[in-house]
Amino acid sequence: MEKIFHESAAYHITGEAIYLDDIPQANVLIGHLVGSKVAKGKIISTNIEQALKVKGIHAILSHKDILGINNLGPIVHDEEALAVSEVRFVGQAIFLIAAETKQQAIDAERLIEIVIEEQKPVFTLFEAMSADTKVQPTRTMKTGEAETFLPLAEHKFSGNIEIGGQEHWYLETQASLCIPGEGNEMKIISSTQNPTEVQMIVAENLGVSIHEVEVETRRLGGGFGGKETNAHHVATWAAILAKHCKQPVKIKLTRDEDQKITGKRHPYFIEYQVGFTQQGIIQAIEMDIHSNAGSARDLSMSILERSMLHAENAYFVENMTIRATAWKTNLPSNTAFRGFGAPQSMAAMENIIDEIARFLSVDAAEIRYKNFYGIEKRNKTPYGQLVINNRLFSIWDELIQTSDYYKRRKEIQQFNAVNTYLKKGLAITPVKFGISFTTSFLNQAGALVNIYTDGTILVNHGGVEMGQGLFTKMQQIAALELGVSLDKIKVNATNTSKVPNTSPTAASSGSDLNGAAVKEAILKLKERIQAVVANYFSEKNQGKQKSEIKDIIFRNNLVFDWRNPEREISFAEAASIARIKQVSLSATGFYKTPDINYNRETETGNAFHYFAFGMAVSEVSIDILTGECVIERSDILHDVGESINPNIDIGQIEGAFVQGLGWVTSEEMKYSAKGELLNYSPDTYKIPGIRNIPKDFRVSLLQNAPNFNAIRRSKAVGEPPFMLALSVWFAIKDALLATSAEKKQINLKIPATNEAILLTLNALNK
Amino acid sequence: MSQINLNFKFLKTSNFTMTKSSTIQFLHNNRLVEIDFSKETEHTPTTTVLQYLRKSHEHKGTKEGCAEGDCGACTVNIAEISNNELKYSAVNSCLLFLPTLHAKQLITIENLGTSNDLHDIQKAMLQTDASQCGYCTPGFAMSMLPLFKQKSIPKKEEIQLALAGNLCRCTGYRPILEAAMQIAGKNSPDKFTENEQLVIQELNKIHEQTNLIEIQNNSTVYFIPQNLNEALRLRNEKPNAILISGSSDIALKVTKKYEHLNEIIDLSHLNELNFIEKTKKTVLIGSGTTLENIKDQLSDIFPALGEMLTVFGSRQIRNVATLGGNIGSASPIGDSLPILMAYNAIVHLQSAEGKRQIAIREFITDYRKTQIATNELIVTIEIPVTEKKKIIKYYKISKRKDLDISTVSAAFELELDKASNVLVFNAFYGGMAHKTSHASNVEQFLVGKKWNEEHINLAKALVKEDFKPISDARSGAEARLLMAENLLFKFYLETIN
Repeated sequence: MEKIFHESAAYHITGEAIYLDDIPQANVLIGHLVGSKVAKGKIISTNIEQALKVKGIHAILSHKDILGINNLGPIVHDEEALAVSEVRFVGQAIFLIAAETKQQAIDAERLIEIVIEEQKPVFTLFEAMSADTKVQPTRTMKTGEAETFLPLAEHKFSGNIEIGGQEHWYLETQASLCIPGEGNEMKIISSTQNPTEVQMIVAENLGVSIHEVEVETRRLGGGFGGKETNAHHVATWAAILAKHCKQPVKIKLTRDEDQKITGKRHPYFIEYQVGFTQQGIIQAIEMDIHSNAGSARDLSMSILERSMLHAENAYFVENMTIRATAWKTNLPSNTAFRGFGAPQSMAAMENIIDEIARFLSVDAAEIRYKNFYGIEKRNKTPYGQLVINNRLFSIWDELIQTSDYYKRRKEIQQFNAVNTYLKKGLAITPVKFGISFTTSFLNQAGALVNIYTDGTILVNHGGVEMGQGLFTKMQQIAALELGVSLDKIKVNATNTSKVPNTSPTAASSGSDLNGAAVKEAILKLKERIQAVVANYFSEKNQGKQKSEIKDIIFRNNLVFDWRNPEREISFAEAASIARIKQVSLSATGFYKTPDINYNRETETGNAFHYFAFGMAVSEVSIDILTGECVIERSDILHDVGESINPNIDIGQIEGAFVQGLGWVTSEEMKYSAKGELLNYSPDTYKIPGIRNIPKDFRVSLLQNAPNFNAIRRSKAVGEPPFMLALSVWFAIKDALLATSAEKKQINLKIPATNEAILLTLNALNK
Repeated sequence: MSQINLNFKFLKTSNFTMTKSSTIQFLHNNRLVEIDFSKETEHTPTTTVLQYLRKSHEHKGTKEGCAEGDCGACTVNIAEISNNELKYSAVNSCLLFLPTLHAKQLITIENLGTSNDLHDIQKAMLQTDASQCGYCTPGFAMSMLPLFKQKSIPKKEEIQLALAGNLCRCTGYRPILEAAMQIAGKNSPDKFTENEQLVIQELNKIHEQTNLIEIQNNSTVYFIPQNLNEALRLRNEKPNAILISGSSDIALKVTKKYEHLNEIIDLSHLNELNFIEKTKKTVLIGSGTTLENIKDQLSDIFPALGEMLTVFGSRQIRNVATLGGNIGSASPIGDSLPILMAYNAIVHLQSAEGKRQIAIREFITDYRKTQIATNELIVTIEIPVTEKKKIIKYYKISKRKDLDISTVSAAFELELDKASNVLVFNAFYGGMAHKTSHASNVEQFLVGKKWNEEHINLAKALVKEDFKPISDARSGAEARLLMAENLLFKFYLETIN
């Protein structure tokens, strides 16, 4: 098969690709927000008089200037676009400034007086628990009788794991350009994964109808979940200013602003108790999941739900009770990030496996294998859905072989026996990831496909291109269905006027949902063209056999009657004829995922359309004196069904893995006692660089594994491989434990920074 | 601002004279750009090259990712004449003030190739799927241009180092590295080769016409002296002026803190400060020599210095940052300071009145303070060639190996007698206090003692007597102490092997 490149690749590598900040816009003002310097408090007084005098300032607005509902909450109305009387985190917007330059806005900000009466904030999960700041009551999922079987288990222990947050660090910071039109119209270019939500929230804040607001998104310079809800914050602020100034306004957050005020991956603290047999078979688990939601609800409850739905990862646990609570704190509200709560609970489950193995003094790989979901038995998840088309064993068998797992395990043991200050570690970890939004109604997508008389096709759909190759896959799907070459297909910028009421491009669902919607639209068009062309051929061949509608096929930019192959016209001719015959060449498509239902009351049901599987083997070496970690080798085997585009899918896997290894190794957030993020720029916040990836990095796609549940028998790929990076963290743990002959367990945090490694080693070898 | 297309066929007829001292001239690829700041309203002398590019509609291919030199999305190339050839350097355009382009050639992504006419670098990036969201991509391509122009094929590690100043959040780097491996050292003739001689001529012409540049614009005065005497005179007259050369540190005041800078003296044109002179006993380094040049030329003689420079910032930073600048900033971490102290380097200062020398061990006095007088410039850094009997080593611990400021750094100097007794032992730590300093208690304890594990372990316990480190964004105090102790031990291990 010929390799198909990302549809924008040639524009990317030449700098010709246009991102939001590259769009020429006349008379545009710069929007800037003035945030709270205090994490929690009451606004006593403000004064903007002096600031208004600064040259170039067009407006300084407060909550009083919001014409509609002052709200940024995506699900519930618990966030204010501009603070009214109290502030809940450092950086929370209080005023908006429109200026001609950023410098003028900053100069004005320095003259604004804001007096806030400080109140006692809470930042950590432990502080939140003692202040009892639950977002909603604790949710409980239960299968079997963990409380009965835990005390009876042959072996049991309890443990916990602390997991830090993660900054998305998309290269393009949050940005929005708002252009007011006539009357109530507002055109918005937004760097968002969720144009519809931007449209709805902006309309709400401006106090206008949804149809007055048009949102367009061509491409993002990275999203990763960070632009699922947080993009509407920036869009709303810019729209408020644009409406007031009657002039276009752009807000593009600076890197520091973005890191300081936008949401992150949720920090978690997870406690567990496990009971198991001498053979290492898990009998019962009780798990308590706590997430730090930050100052508002945002998507925290959905994220927590996905944590619950992945708390057992790839393992059958007959008796399992999962309790999950999100806690409010005075940090910026945490939000979606690739994996959406699954990475944290999976980390806890894998840690349980690891600790069982160390308890029993066996290789963790053995415990993993023994507890995998079965093919026909032992295949019911804690929420009642059956794990079907289980690929764990086929992936395992192949990867254990190709990675030389057992041979390297021996070599590492020998290496560690003779090296004191350099230790190696090895781990294999699996991922089973459920594909679908767990909020069932979101599993829908729309498309609008137009065919023009020169035979070119314009595809509109509700998904957003953020580098993941969604547009390329849509192009491929359309081209294959219509039997035309790729150059005939253009995928249009995502626009709420073309395809309305869309779901966010999230939950790895972009290709599955939008691809099916595009296909549906195209099938409608094909039927119409088939009728036109059959008729055309029959008329041209009067007296001969008629062309049947069902015999008209589309291939090689041609439309022909396969029973009478000499009856052939180009696709462009077919389109022209359809127009002359007054047949519409425009069709919408719609798709909703069938057969999924999840009941939040009972915490049971078919939450997912299918599961994606993958595994990784990673080997690390750790300098015991400096805590420096080198990833010597990672082998990944991942299941993407029948790949629509193998190079794009491999890119997703590698990229997700490296992002995940940042999460487990170097990306750390520290806060001052006042709740200010200390790592608010890339100076101190460290995502992986080119020398941090595995020295030997081998990624393969599982072959001969069609997925009959999704478009072109493929599988979603965006998020699942992120969690393969846990193999790195467990390899680090493995290396650290090689330093101690006596102790079997350590409490290592995520991320295992060099600081965490050294402190852990210090505790281990005291 | 005027832009003249140097249609190179007609180059000989183009003739510009440098009449105003407030004007700079540079080539943007093949186009001569002249900016007269006295007439300019769009740009000031502290406008960065990135801001300048982003303001024009034609050059939006260069992206801003962080505005602090930590991501490389804004990477451009600067070509300068070196040995009658053009030398291409990747730099962060976000950290360069516009006047520093004077008499240089600027090459941006638009100049590399277009989607209809890809450069070899871009072809390789296309083939390997080196872009996903595409935002970091132009920066990577520009970091690859010097690699492409390299005359020999570099090793994988060198290629990685050349790209360590560029961050990508989508791809996981593997395809980017693959593209770089394909083009590194390829050096096939390209559009830049074609014009090289003409560019050299044009740059020479600008050079010849250049006198003191003095840019007065609103609140900022920006001087680019062309020789040391001029610079010393200015330094004397403007004691409060900020000194810059690569501006990789000072630019942050503008791009991150939105400060107004009143007076700036740009020392980057002083050839007298850009040299490396080696003798048998000592090496003299002009304070304006870039760290990359020092790394390339002195890693053999001073391996520990070379090691430090390999992990100092990124290639883009090292291409503009100077040794004098790093010493002058006197950062408490100041990656070069511990190692220069271990080498017992000497700082040569000069003013209009005369010269003096101060050992670097004494030069740094406090948090971001040195012994420099307000009329002096650091002109030379002298490093004595290490005597064979001495061992000097450098260590850096940072969260990420590249492009990260040390959490703790340490440099050690050791001399033992034949019976393994310590004759000389000096330990300098960065990141442990408000300035780079000695671990005095550790040193005192070890001198005269046998160099063995027992004594090292006892000495380790004294580190906490020497330092009371702080907790900050990089690390907690407890880990910093552990790191400092461990580095001492690591040094010991490496001396006995």
